[in-house]
Amino acid sequence: MIRYEDATKRYGAGPPALDRLTLDVPAGETCVLVGPSGGGKTTALKMVNRLVEPTSGRVLIDGRDVASTDPVTLRRGIGYVIQQVGLFPHLDVAANVATVPRLLGWERRRIDARVDELLDLVGLEPATYRHRRPDELSGGQRQRVGVARALAADPPILLMDEPFGAVDPVTRARLQDEFLRLQRTLRRTVVLVTHDIDEALRLGDRLAVLATGGRLEQYGTPADVLARPATPFVAGFVGAGRTLRRLDLLAATDALAPSGPTPGARGPAVGPTATLADVMAALLTSDAAAVRVVDDGSARGIVTLDSIRAALRADGEP
Amino acid sequence: MRLVIMPLALAAATVLVVVWAHRGAVGAEAGALATGTLAVRVREHVVLCAVSTVLAVAVAVPAGVAATRPALRRLGPPLLFVANVGQSVPTIAVLALAFSVTGIGFRTAVIGLWAYSVLPVLRNTVAGLAGVDPSTVEAARGMGMSPAQVLRRVELPLAWPVLVAGIRTAAVVNVGTAALATFVGAGGLGALITVGLDNQRDRILYTGAALTALLALAVDWAIATLAELTHQRPSR
Repeated sequence: MIRYEDATKRYGAGPPALDRLTLDVPAGETCVLVGPSGGGKTTALKMVNRLVEPTSGRVLIDGRDVASTDPVTLRRGIGYVIQQVGLFPHLDVAANVATVPRLLGWERRRIDARVDELLDLVGLEPATYRHRRPDELSGGQRQRVGVARALAADPPILLMDEPFGAVDPVTRARLQDEFLRLQRTLRRTVVLVTHDIDEALRLGDRLAVLATGGRLEQYGTPADVLARPATPFVAGFVGAGRTLRRLDLLAATDALAPSGPTPGARGPAVGPTATLADVMAALLTSDAAAVRVVDDGSARGIVTLDSIRAALRADGEP
Repeated sequence: MRLVIMPLALAAATVLVVVWAHRGAVGAEAGALATGTLAVRVREHVVLCAVSTVLAVAVAVPAGVAATRPALRRLGPPLLFVANVGQSVPTIAVLALAFSVTGIGFRTAVIGLWAYSVLPVLRNTVAGLAGVDPSTVEAARGMGMSPAQVLRRVELPLAWPVLVAGIRTAAVVNVGTAALATFVGAGGLGALITVGLDNQRDRILYTGAALTALLALAVDWAIATLAELTHQRPSR
């Protein structure tokens, strides 16, 4: 677990880059630091691996102040992915991925096996890509190598600074999907920085919304932040589309109307894992006033506009 | 190809020059142009250049590395300024200055050549290291490389081509400049040139000049080849 305690960073006079940040990132969860530039997101991230030292306050990993750990040792136990990827241009893909295992003095055979395993994991065929040079890769492939390199020594913590910032929207969406798939199996403690609220809502188990001046405006789950923005700043940052975004996060089964389905009813239907966004889509593309939620052939109930309103109200403000 | 053709061409040209020098040598020229004498002059020249260049590298590369460390980064510009001023002083003046301290001989010539070749090496060391992408360096630090490991595994390999280009410039310029070493009594191919000039023996003058030029080409080729072989690229 990562804990920030009043972590503050000042560069000279003027407002701090990060202002008394206090929050806990539970083990195995993804915490997204999100906000406009100047919010201290990257500063907060780099405090974990001591690339930035707090002016005051501290950062703890599993209860231990990082300041009491030698930075080189500390960093070898933390995966680090940066926006510009920072692959070593004079080394091939395999040598890049092997960076930390080599620093740790692993045996050659173990390193080779690990490199292949990781390239497989991030979707790069080892035989094809092992000996490619970074400048022979596309932006998306470089990002994958960057992620593989960060995971090489199996660190429990992963720091990602705008990891999908430098690629086109299509590639970014695919990398986000892969990140979610990886994280479902690996369950690392991830701190991820982005300025993109959509990315934050998609990837984060928790969001920390930071405003200019390094103030933490809100810390909560994506559903929390959308349903109950703590401050006008958060409401503004999440944007006008937040009600529609909430529909993505609520299940159709959370919004069943009190009256059950009419036996033998026809019309639109969705599955048991559908979200309210799916229901809305079904409503808008048919003439029906209700959508049935069907689980394995048997009807679970119906969802209507009224029941959606009620569900939104129950979850937060309308 | 370049590995073979260039040294063969240089060797052939050297043989031609020596043969030409011997064939037409008349009277006193024969002694000055004897193969043994030429070999001595070439050796003097090579030793002068090698010693001064190695000393320049030994001083300038660590200085350049130091000047690009975070703690000393402010040192870089003034250091380059001093080196630039040094470079703008004519070589012959540097030799004269060194002469007034250490007198006549090999040591004086080496000091003069050294002072002249520090700058290109220093400048290129600083430029090469400063040209390494900061995100690459940060990635290296963030993954747990110690400062020395970042320097050795990332910064120096990436700065290497630029750094070696500086050494190459310094060494080649040194071959030319070492022709002046004869004025402080340190011999070298410059001795042939001055003897030729003083006695109006063009054959001796031309032989000295041609051998100096061939030596410069040879040094250039040797360092370029070395740079090529040591440039770290991903293995294929």
